[in-house]
Amino acid sequence: KTYSQVVTLHQKNASVEKVLRSIEKQTGYHFMYDKQDVSKASAINIEVAGVSLEQALDQAFKDQPLTYKIFQETIVVKKKDEAATVTMANIKVSGTVSDAKGPLPGVSVRIKGSDVGTQTDATGKYTLNVPEKGTLVFSFIGYTTQEVAVGGRTTLDVTLVENPKALSEVVVIGYGTSKRVDLTGSVGSVSGKQLQDRPQTNLEQELSGKIAGVNVSTNSGAPGGATKIRIRGYSSINTNTDPLYVVDGVVWTEGGNSINPNDIETIDVLKDASSTAIYGTRGANGVILVTTKRGKKGGTVSYDSYVAINHMAKELPVLNSKEFMEVEDISYANIKKYDPTGWAAGNYATRDPKLQRTALIGKLFDQNLNPLYDVDWQKATTRTSVSQNHNLAFTGGSDNINYGLFLNYSDDEGIILNSYLKRYNVRLTFDNQIKPWLKVGATLNYNNQDKRTADDGTGGNNIPRMLIEMVPFIPIKYPDGTYGKRTDYPNLEGGDNPVAQANEIESLYKTRVFSGNGYANINILPGLDFRSVLGVTTSANYNPHFQSGLVGGASASQTYSSASIDEANNTYWQWDNYATYNKTFNKVHSLNVVAGYEKTGFQQTGVYASTSNLSDNYYQYYNLGAGSIPGIPKSNYLAYQFESIFGRINYAYDDKYLLTVTGRRDGSSRFGTNVKNGFFPSAAIAWRASQEDFLKNNKTLSDLKFRLSYGLTGNSEIGSYQSLAQINTVNYVFNGAQAIGTQQATIGNEDLSWEKTAEYDLGVSFGLFNNRITVDADAYLKKTKELLLNAPLPETSGFNSVYKNIGRLQNKGIELTINTINVKTNNFTWNSSFNISFLKNKVLQLGASNDDIFLSPTFLSQFNLMRVGLPAGSFYGYKVLGTWGTAEATQAAAFGKLPGDLKIQDTNGDGKITSADKVVLGKSLPDGYGTFSNTFKYKAIDLGVDLQFNYGNQIMNLTRHSGQDRTGQANSYATVLNAWTPTNQNTSIAEDRPAYVYYQTEIYSTKVESGSFIRGRAVTLGYTFPESITKKIKLSRLRIYLQAQNLFVITKYTGYDPEVSTYNNNTAITQGTQGQNNTSNFTQGIQFYDYPKPRTFLFGLNASF
Amino acid sequence: CKKDLVEKDKSQFVKSNYFTTASQARTFVTGIYQKLYMFQNGDAYGESPFITMELFAGHATSLGQSVNNNNVINNRTDAVNPGFEDVWQNSYNAISNANIALANIPGITPFADADKKALLGEAYFLRAFFYYHLVRLYGDVPLITTPVTISSPDLYPSRAATSAVYDQIISDLKAAEASGLPETDATGKVSLGAVRTLLASVYLTTAGYPLQKTANYALAAAEVQPVLSDYSLFDKYDYLHDTPHKNQQELIFQSNYLVGVATNAITQLTVPFNLLVGVYGDHLGAMIPTNAFVASYEAGDLRTQERQFYFSSYPQNGNPSVILQFGEHALYKYFHVESALGNGQCDENWTFLRLPEAQLIYAEATNEVSGPTADAYTQINKIRARAKLAPLAGLTKDQFRAAIWKERYHELAYENKAYFDIQRTHQIYDVINNTFGDATTTKNEQNVTMKAQYYLWPIPQREISTNSKLTQNTGW
Repeated sequence: KTYSQVVTLHQKNASVEKVLRSIEKQTGYHFMYDKQDVSKASAINIEVAGVSLEQALDQAFKDQPLTYKIFQETIVVKKKDEAATVTMANIKVSGTVSDAKGPLPGVSVRIKGSDVGTQTDATGKYTLNVPEKGTLVFSFIGYTTQEVAVGGRTTLDVTLVENPKALSEVVVIGYGTSKRVDLTGSVGSVSGKQLQDRPQTNLEQELSGKIAGVNVSTNSGAPGGATKIRIRGYSSINTNTDPLYVVDGVVWTEGGNSINPNDIETIDVLKDASSTAIYGTRGANGVILVTTKRGKKGGTVSYDSYVAINHMAKELPVLNSKEFMEVEDISYANIKKYDPTGWAAGNYATRDPKLQRTALIGKLFDQNLNPLYDVDWQKATTRTSVSQNHNLAFTGGSDNINYGLFLNYSDDEGIILNSYLKRYNVRLTFDNQIKPWLKVGATLNYNNQDKRTADDGTGGNNIPRMLIEMVPFIPIKYPDGTYGKRTDYPNLEGGDNPVAQANEIESLYKTRVFSGNGYANINILPGLDFRSVLGVTTSANYNPHFQSGLVGGASASQTYSSASIDEANNTYWQWDNYATYNKTFNKVHSLNVVAGYEKTGFQQTGVYASTSNLSDNYYQYYNLGAGSIPGIPKSNYLAYQFESIFGRINYAYDDKYLLTVTGRRDGSSRFGTNVKNGFFPSAAIAWRASQEDFLKNNKTLSDLKFRLSYGLTGNSEIGSYQSLAQINTVNYVFNGAQAIGTQQATIGNEDLSWEKTAEYDLGVSFGLFNNRITVDADAYLKKTKELLLNAPLPETSGFNSVYKNIGRLQNKGIELTINTINVKTNNFTWNSSFNISFLKNKVLQLGASNDDIFLSPTFLSQFNLMRVGLPAGSFYGYKVLGTWGTAEATQAAAFGKLPGDLKIQDTNGDGKITSADKVVLGKSLPDGYGTFSNTFKYKAIDLGVDLQFNYGNQIMNLTRHSGQDRTGQANSYATVLNAWTPTNQNTSIAEDRPAYVYYQTEIYSTKVESGSFIRGRAVTLGYTFPESITKKIKLSRLRIYLQAQNLFVITKYTGYDPEVSTYNNNTAITQGTQGQNNTSNFTQGIQFYDYPKPRTFLFGLNASF
Repeated sequence: CKKDLVEKDKSQFVKSNYFTTASQARTFVTGIYQKLYMFQNGDAYGESPFITMELFAGHATSLGQSVNNNNVINNRTDAVNPGFEDVWQNSYNAISNANIALANIPGITPFADADKKALLGEAYFLRAFFYYHLVRLYGDVPLITTPVTISSPDLYPSRAATSAVYDQIISDLKAAEASGLPETDATGKVSLGAVRTLLASVYLTTAGYPLQKTANYALAAAEVQPVLSDYSLFDKYDYLHDTPHKNQQELIFQSNYLVGVATNAITQLTVPFNLLVGVYGDHLGAMIPTNAFVASYEAGDLRTQERQFYFSSYPQNGNPSVILQFGEHALYKYFHVESALGNGQCDENWTFLRLPEAQLIYAEATNEVSGPTADAYTQINKIRARAKLAPLAGLTKDQFRAAIWKERYHELAYENKAYFDIQRTHQIYDVINNTFGDATTTKNEQNVTMKAQYYLWPIPQREISTNSKLTQNTGW
């Protein structure tokens, strides 16, 4: 990033030193030179504006006897002829290495181009045999590495300069960059290198665990599986709480899956409101700024790739054939206990399992009524899959022009049969310094994703559900080749076996994203730049679906075949114009001002067509005309736009006292005519205490900074047209033909506006022992008011709810990041990184009268509770105390229950169980989460161990409803073997009985499980080939690595994986109003049969030349 | 800048740019009809309003997995049962759209007066139809007759007295009656016959509990009389649930379905649990008549013969040599043969009003006014004749009343009439003893005695929580 910094010099008859100082100031680079060399140079005349560093130096040294070399952030200036002479006689060199505060022990001293070296002792002294014309490399953590030519000297004292990297690390902030040390807000960053170490298929997964306060949940094991990112909790109930993605300055509307992670140079996450307020109505959920790789001077080709093997990490115990039949027999026999009247009347005689089985002798059972099959459906439907990912990058450039070409192919195979995610990505970047005052550049990106899912349709008999519920005594296929179906056995409910579904149902999601952006940067005056950026993203989403006639009913028939195509085309454009002014007055007042104007627009057109009863499966979705019962075609349109002005002032006094003030005025078409425009201000101050004289020479405390910020941000993600009283079309039938009707669908609210989040952030960061230990801590308090609440309306109005600005929500938390360098020797280093985020969420106010609101999903009953005083997304239901024992028959009878039935807590003690007895059973938000990473390096070997943890949340395991509460009409969890029997009364699983007789099922405390876990997320073992080998094969770098992902999970949760949510609406492609009315953000941890997670072993390669 | 920030929704109208043409008015009224589908709303558990209403009457079992259905049958349901909200929400949504239609259509020009009046007549009928369901199911309900906006006082209404709601219903139906609608309508729209039958039903109901305006018996008889000659009974019971006879002859008012446009799960819900009698994906057994109810028909009643109103065996789908024995009587009345043997997409119409109800309203109302008249006997005996039963004669007023009530149970069985009959008569049909008994002290054949609170449904809990002005019905 620092390479992109430009230099402006207007100097006449200046000394070299003056020119170099001026460059230092502008770029943050530091110069090293021998005063003698420089003194021989003549005066410099230079007149350049907005040019690259190299250009400026080339120009400055054009007629001088000097040359330069750039090492990271240090530029060494030398005499032009120095490198030419080399002889090889060894001499003994000794000396002292010190820094500004005195001698430095433990500094590595190495002869350049060899592995020969030593370390300084406790007094900073060293001795080493060196070739007379050799060069010594002095390196120490926290300091700039120095190279010093021996030049025949036997005593070489070196003063190391504190690593300017820590000081000059540049982070991307909205509409500009800032040095990390100058930050007043809370910004977390991840470098591309960190991303490369643990490759993932998408950006969100890459971010997982990297930054405190950024919670990434991977909620499905499906390829590219549903991820959910929450930055500092949930600041909204009904509107989107996804962070805003900005890629290279342009808002990204196509989601993290459409970005190739390997193209990322850095990710910067703006967390506090002082940082995000410059994004106004879209900043409330945090902003993720992605900077992609670009071309560089010189030429590099790099190839990064991996091959991964995935297999199911955990299989859940279910009943086998014999156990299923036993449970079925017990259940049937229990009918006479639970429905004595019906039993006596003979109502159930025809349902006797023995009778059913006898009728199926030869097909499913042998002569002794033993099952012919015993299928492990979890095994049968999953596979050990192989994934691969290849990235090829070409970068190059000369002084004024650079380019980059980045190619990616990835094929991620899911562990459920036939599911996959394939991606092709091509990106071309180009930057040109046309004139000293004008730089232009462009990026073109094409992304192609093809996905086949296996877990669409939560709630139905989809594949993940049937992994558990398909009965084991029905085969995948019969000898005649037809699929086994659950209805082949009379007592069972409908549903196709999961292998049949995986083969015969194709749910495809094909996305083509084409995006491009171009910029022009004009240097108007010294320090004043104007930048114009135009970005356009278009996406074509083509989602066909086909179900063959071999599934869907009790027997194969074209009746069940269907096909549909859901298509949406999105166009987003953004035009930014802003000016940046940068100046330092009187050496101590530095000022950076940004002011600009932005206009954005989005448009979507969609079309949907479907048919069923295809004349032949051959046609799939390619010829919807081949279906005899077409559905009514649909199409939709939506658009929105924003118009904004924004500005920011950064002021620093003497690099000690920092002040940032920002403001943005946003107008959005989404809001009511009465309130289209809003203003979002923020302010922040910071104090770099370590710059104060009384701390400057402190050897322990190497860095100390305090930050305090306040800001106001908004959230406008309610979809378009929500403020209007919409008249929607519906279908009715007159005279045996379709008749179009219309209904008013929304009540309309012309006062609808954005929700406002006010956030306070207090941060402290410090470094100890030359930053061997760095600590970053933030405490924040975030209050969202005027929530865009989908507030319930009395249904007497004709409407169910309305988007209203009502209600308040609070998030507060502490984030802590500790990075340590535990061991640092020549051959071995051990670094640790630990982050933890504590989060507390509370509903402060809801609606007009603070009544409870229940969010979707509704399953069995409304359980997803929003209640004032509680964390949002609390679980609400009955507490199960166990089962009624035979000794408690009388007490049970008072509740209309029998021994063997569940004993529900009569909370209000009124002698009956009603909805008034429900209690809060848990919450979906964790108390804390974080990551503990360790990196070990021994010579060329590196080992990384990443642990992820999460605690204090609960999971609503709804699968206990159909997998445990009922038996006999689908397969059950093996837990039902522990059901109540007269001899097994100490259980909370009710006595087995068929679901059709009268079973108990509700939202019970027994469905709520702890969601705490520790995950061995990634263990990586890498080897970087030494230069001696890579040089021979003309490579500049070669690293291979082995990695295990999701190696283990320590948890009490009984499902596949505690990071789970099956109500994601992740397959909905329309971004706007459709369906959004009924969604909420609080579906995390609510599970009804999920795609199992894989454990992945990966072999990777990074090479460049 | 402000103008720039407006985005038009090109795919949907908004209220401010609608109601400009006669065709938009027609379309909007058609939209109200669409809410008639709510009675078939449902889920895989079989919790559908047309079933819930029948379970309240006590003569059906539910073999499916629905816990809520079982709770209704056993008198232990409560105000959070989602079925109660389903009916409430959809009825008021229909009423809201009717209010919008009635408020906005009159101002549309050009619009031929006669057409406009007839269209408004449909809207009046539909508003009355939904209020009639609301007032019977929930008692005192908020009475809203104008469009509600976010700022209107009607947004948080109080409950209106039952009598006031009935006054509005009667007034709406009279407006519909005078709107120039055709006597009959075979396309599925509201006809004059439908208006009269519904109004007669309203009169009959208001003559009973809770209002007991006995003067309305005479109004009921007079209102329904023209209907008796405008419509005629089918020869075959099959025609009640097949495709060719939709909206014909004895069918006065139905909700209309069509494969490809709107289908329902009536058959899937009413066939025996998990027995493959049709090509359907599910066989839910959510409403199965009790054996005692089927046994309560007179001997020789054609309606109890196999595949008339009921059936107890059927060839297995895809394997017709196997005859499935149900071990119970399922409702052949709702068995849609076309879809069961065809594509599995059921589009049978749901019947709200048909001639036998009009005939029985006439007979009952006449009997209350003047005892068993010859005309009254004629009407009930037409129904009995079709069922191959001997004509009734020589009954006392009380005997005749009981005979009519029984006929209502037997002819209109599982058509969502029985629960409303219990409400207005406070009697239940004791099918085992073939007598009528006090509703809250007489056990039904499932061993359940109705609690007094079950005369009404509860106001949905969600609604009570959202609107503090609402009170709950007694006992709930």
